[in-house]
Amino acid sequence: MRDVAIIGCGMTKFGRREEDLLELLMEASLAAMKDAGLDHRSVDAVYVANMGAGILNYQTGVASALVDRLNLLPAPADTVENGPASGASAIKNAFLAIASGLYDSVLVVGGEKMRAVTGWEATDFVASMTHRQGEYIYGVTLPSLAGMFARLHMAKYGVKQEHLAMVAVKNHENGAKNPYAHIQQAVTMEGILLRPEAVVNNPPIAEPLRMYDCCPVSDGAAAVVLCAAEKAKDAPHPAVHIAGFGQATDIHAVYQRDDPLDLKAVRGAAKAAFEMARLCPQDIQVAELHDAFTILEIVESEQAGFFPVGQGHRALEEGATRLDGKLPINPSGGLKARGHPVGATGVAQVTELVWQLRGQAGERQVSQAVNGFCCNFGGFGNNVLAFVLSRE
Amino acid sequence: MEVPKGYQCKACGRVFHPKRRFCLGCGGDQFKELALEKEGTLLTFTKLHALTMDFTTRTLMLGIVEYPRGVRALGQLSTDKVEMGMKMRHRWEKVREINGQEIYGLKFYPASK
Ligand SMILES: [Zn+2]
Repeated sequence: MRDVAIIGCGMTKFGRREEDLLELLMEASLAAMKDAGLDHRSVDAVYVANMGAGILNYQTGVASALVDRLNLLPAPADTVENGPASGASAIKNAFLAIASGLYDSVLVVGGEKMRAVTGWEATDFVASMTHRQGEYIYGVTLPSLAGMFARLHMAKYGVKQEHLAMVAVKNHENGAKNPYAHIQQAVTMEGILLRPEAVVNNPPIAEPLRMYDCCPVSDGAAAVVLCAAEKAKDAPHPAVHIAGFGQATDIHAVYQRDDPLDLKAVRGAAKAAFEMARLCPQDIQVAELHDAFTILEIVESEQAGFFPVGQGHRALEEGATRLDGKLPINPSGGLKARGHPVGATGVAQVTELVWQLRGQAGERQVSQAVNGFCCNFGGFGNNVLAFVLSRE
Repeated sequence: MEVPKGYQCKACGRVFHPKRRFCLGCGGDQFKELALEKEGTLLTFTKLHALTMDFTTRTLMLGIVEYPRGVRALGQLSTDKVEMGMKMRHRWEKVREINGQEIYGLKFYPASK
């Protein structure tokens, strides 16, 4: 297997965007190609991550449309759909294609245009990935699964509403330093939890989860250019290597799992990524976790091996996951503040790690970052991917 | 009226709801149909305030119930006056309409009522 490097990345600002999906994908793609110093003649193949343009935008065959707009014809192009983990799945496909020796340089771009529909249509669209007979027909949404999961986890490990709010406060503080973030505004514990008006500012969504425990619905795109490491020498920026990759699946309906609190696929994906990289969680200086809900950042930080199970909220309490902590988590603001255009998220996580490892993250730069980790969580943990990235 | 069923793997005895092609425990593909016990324990729940289309109420109670033989099921709850560990009894009721089609499923009521 050949070593694979990331030589370029770029993204659009996330949020409510006027542009259509193809325009967003083009903007991110062109930024990543420019960053990589590539012109259209040197892109061997394209993978586009998108979860639901067929439903949200009445646009299918997204990859075919995009290569035409980008003048990348006749480059092979595929759309990859793996729910909210589509982004990481597309990068995985590019990684495998380059590692195998088939292609030398591949463009991966993930995007979603979710604000084209109403909030409840967007919620229903995401809910369509739940188990049809066992979950969906009852009115299950992703926030409702997260709410039931949070109640169980909180009861078992003594996690309080304050801990969930700490994730939101931290990630919004980081997001305020990220010019690409959907929400660039800090929030306070008083404002979202302690003061009486918090009930209005931060209403319940899926109890015990409140609005600030859930990511916003966003438009946006992110792109990376992957290249065989042996051919990455001429790139304008120092290459960041994909040192390890892992993926695992789990039982579709959450209630059917032996222990509904056990996110086996997160653990499996992280373990495989660390094994391939020949690194361990202690070697990581920066992590991007899939905090679609605040509880998930806490639990993923445990299942990935950064903290013992049931101790993630303690680490958070002690400030270990802040920008200046021992292991900064979600310096980008995470899904919570950067936003969650579902197809874009996995690519945006990798983009943030590349910027962090290159030292280009500006005000939110983590110090001394050599190895980064990210986790892209699909379904409610039924399809999870993890990457370990390392700078030269 | 339809009775909510469990499907017991003939090889290892594990019970599932709804029906599966293969047993999650042993991979077996032969199942015996049985009625779910009337009563189970509420494992967890949520009061959902952000509903999708087809719902006319402002909030929706959802929960996961564990039956005696270890089989679990998710369903709607009849009330928000519930707590974890409470005994619940199910009924098979209309739970939703999707595109005008009536969908039946599990609705859990506190067992004391
Ligand atoms: Zn079996």
